[in-house]
Amino acid sequence: MSAATDPATLLLKRLQRLLRWRLWAQEKLQLTDWQVTLLWAALAGFLGSLSSLIFSALAEGVHEVMTGSSAGVVESMRHLPWWGCLLVPMLGGAAAGLVLHYGQHLTRAQSSTDYMEAIAIGNGRIPVRASLVKSTAALFSIGSGGSIGREGPMVQLAAVVASMLGRWRLFTGPQLRLLVACGASAGIASAYNAPIAGSFFVAEIILGSIAMESLGPLAVSAVVATLTIRVLTSAQVMYHVPAFQLNSAWEMGPYVGLGLVMGSLAPAFLRSLRQSEEFFLALRLPLVARLALGGLAVGVMAINVPQVCGNGYSVVVQILNGPVVWKVLLGVFACKWLATMASFGSGAPGGVFTPSLFMGASAGYLFGAAVHAVWPSGAVNPGAFALVGMGAFLAAASRAPVMAIILLFEMTLSYDIILPLMLCSVIAYYTAKGIQGGSLYSEALRRKAAAEPVPVLPVGQVEDLMQAHPPVLASTARFAEIAQRFLSVRVNNLYVCAEGGRFLGAVSLHDIKPYLGDLDLAELVIARDILHEDFPRIGPQQSLSDALGLFLAHPVERLPVVDPATGTLLGSLPKTELLLALVEKRRQTVG
Amino acid sequence: MDLPSQLLANPDALILDLVANSREAVLCRLHEQLAGCPGVKDAPAFLHSLRERAMLAPVCIAPDVALPHARTAAVNRVVLGVARLAVPGVGFDAEHPQVRLVFMVGTPQASVEDHLLAVAAITRLLQPEGRRAGLLAARTEAEFRALLARGSQR
Repeated sequence: MSAATDPATLLLKRLQRLLRWRLWAQEKLQLTDWQVTLLWAALAGFLGSLSSLIFSALAEGVHEVMTGSSAGVVESMRHLPWWGCLLVPMLGGAAAGLVLHYGQHLTRAQSSTDYMEAIAIGNGRIPVRASLVKSTAALFSIGSGGSIGREGPMVQLAAVVASMLGRWRLFTGPQLRLLVACGASAGIASAYNAPIAGSFFVAEIILGSIAMESLGPLAVSAVVATLTIRVLTSAQVMYHVPAFQLNSAWEMGPYVGLGLVMGSLAPAFLRSLRQSEEFFLALRLPLVARLALGGLAVGVMAINVPQVCGNGYSVVVQILNGPVVWKVLLGVFACKWLATMASFGSGAPGGVFTPSLFMGASAGYLFGAAVHAVWPSGAVNPGAFALVGMGAFLAAASRAPVMAIILLFEMTLSYDIILPLMLCSVIAYYTAKGIQGGSLYSEALRRKAAAEPVPVLPVGQVEDLMQAHPPVLASTARFAEIAQRFLSVRVNNLYVCAEGGRFLGAVSLHDIKPYLGDLDLAELVIARDILHEDFPRIGPQQSLSDALGLFLAHPVERLPVVDPATGTLLGSLPKTELLLALVEKRRQTVG
Repeated sequence: MDLPSQLLANPDALILDLVANSREAVLCRLHEQLAGCPGVKDAPAFLHSLRERAMLAPVCIAPDVALPHARTAAVNRVVLGVARLAVPGVGFDAEHPQVRLVFMVGTPQASVEDHLLAVAAITRLLQPEGRRAGLLAARTEAEFRALLARGSQR
């Protein structure tokens, strides 16, 4: 103890006060692992929305170059001569094929680019070059009027950006998968201006869980993406629809029928896409020729029915705002179905999410018109059936009724339709489930999972999720040094090791907090004096359920992983990693 | 009464004007006094713990104050022994050649919080201006105890 006026003591006191204040501030403002995850999710959402905007702008540029028109896809095709209608989709398909063909040389050794696979059965790593090649090819197939959605590549790109971000930050497997899922959520939210549906799309379809551990980051990412899109563009509600209302309770009867029809139609649509894919493969054409043929098939139909081109958005707007001549719509519906089969079957890169909305809207309208013809009061407005049909078809095709209901609501902001929409979507979902086991997405995931039977997911042992090099103290570390270490690393417990790395126990921030102002303790107390020798620990070969049991019994954020034979500290197991892995495990079990 | 007040108001051992010529002699003498108290269940092991701890890092908090302390399985409650050494004091290490006040603390192995509480209470006791001088100058045991008790009530 020195005199209070000693300059060195005064300086030490000031430093100690500063240290105490910093530690207090850090403790109060300290971000938990979950909060840090949310921040990364927000960044993934922001970057994902930017990548979506860039892709969208490039696709419009390609479209303008190929058609000489900056109008919408359908409008551009309508003004092209017959040979132009044939040539543009065919050349677009050939260009996409060439990009894919020559791109293979750059990406030969790389694995699948599918973001769903990366999240659901992969390790969260999406090959960047291969994805860029695929997206570039998609620019041509979409820009040339292929009957395919641009939303798929937009989501893919957002997921790739998230994957790159996570890899740069050296995220572990579960963290990386969650971040890629956030990217996908941002992509959907950007594409449809629908943050809730974006979150639920990934949670319900890919993760198979709406646990807050995963839904929270997905929601943050989707919100940030939507806000970015709204700030940078004039994006608003996607589909402006007239006010629909349920005129009488009797109308629910036809809606039940619509649910049954959509539940039957969606599996047929999916089956036809698969058969078309098999047909094109059976032709054994070179990739470029196959895609050109797919484009040509679309072009042939586009000569008389330009509505088959693109993702069907503009036609859906027309249907919803009606009236539409049902005979014309029937023709467009049939041609669009065939065109989507041609584009998808030939392997044109793109998505079928928005084309599915078209199928639902047109089939719903036709159903409503038919009911109206025989029972006018049972279907007063066929446009309402189109809107409900979109949701029901999507629910049946994606096997994600919650997402479908939310998406429809977000895209139209029409609350009046919510009752028939919910009923119809659920009926369609169960009908489709009864007819066919798979969905628009689960089929692809199952095929890929079967092709790669060894999961990269943790196999249930602690060492699979262990993080190496946790912050460690020597047993002789002084109190001042301990406080400094708590300042520099965001943990509540610091592990103490003997020479050679033998784990001795842990020092708790909670214990030292009241004494940070005691100058005399700075040199007097060492780590060994305040060591919790009984701190819970776990072996690398122990199961994750053992770890869960320890986390339940002890309020700690991390468990030291210790070699049971030598007592050496090998790493640490964060609780967040375990919970993410358990969420995934549960999804696998349920799936 | 909280733990620091209880400890300082009634130390388990108190020796005034102890004459010793080495740190080891001081530790042994004070330990002997403590060995008989009900809180110490294994006196040799307690001494061993104190020595072991003193070898790892210095235990002095001022030129004339030492605070040998250990968390050990040899005690079943916090124990405190206090000694005032006769002039000129005893060298505990190279930097503390004339230690005159010694506070020996033993805490049960599992009681990390109590250990910090006890050690911090002693350092806080000695912080006020003139407190050490008062303890060194106390003429009787009663006066010394009174100063300890007063310090615990700050």
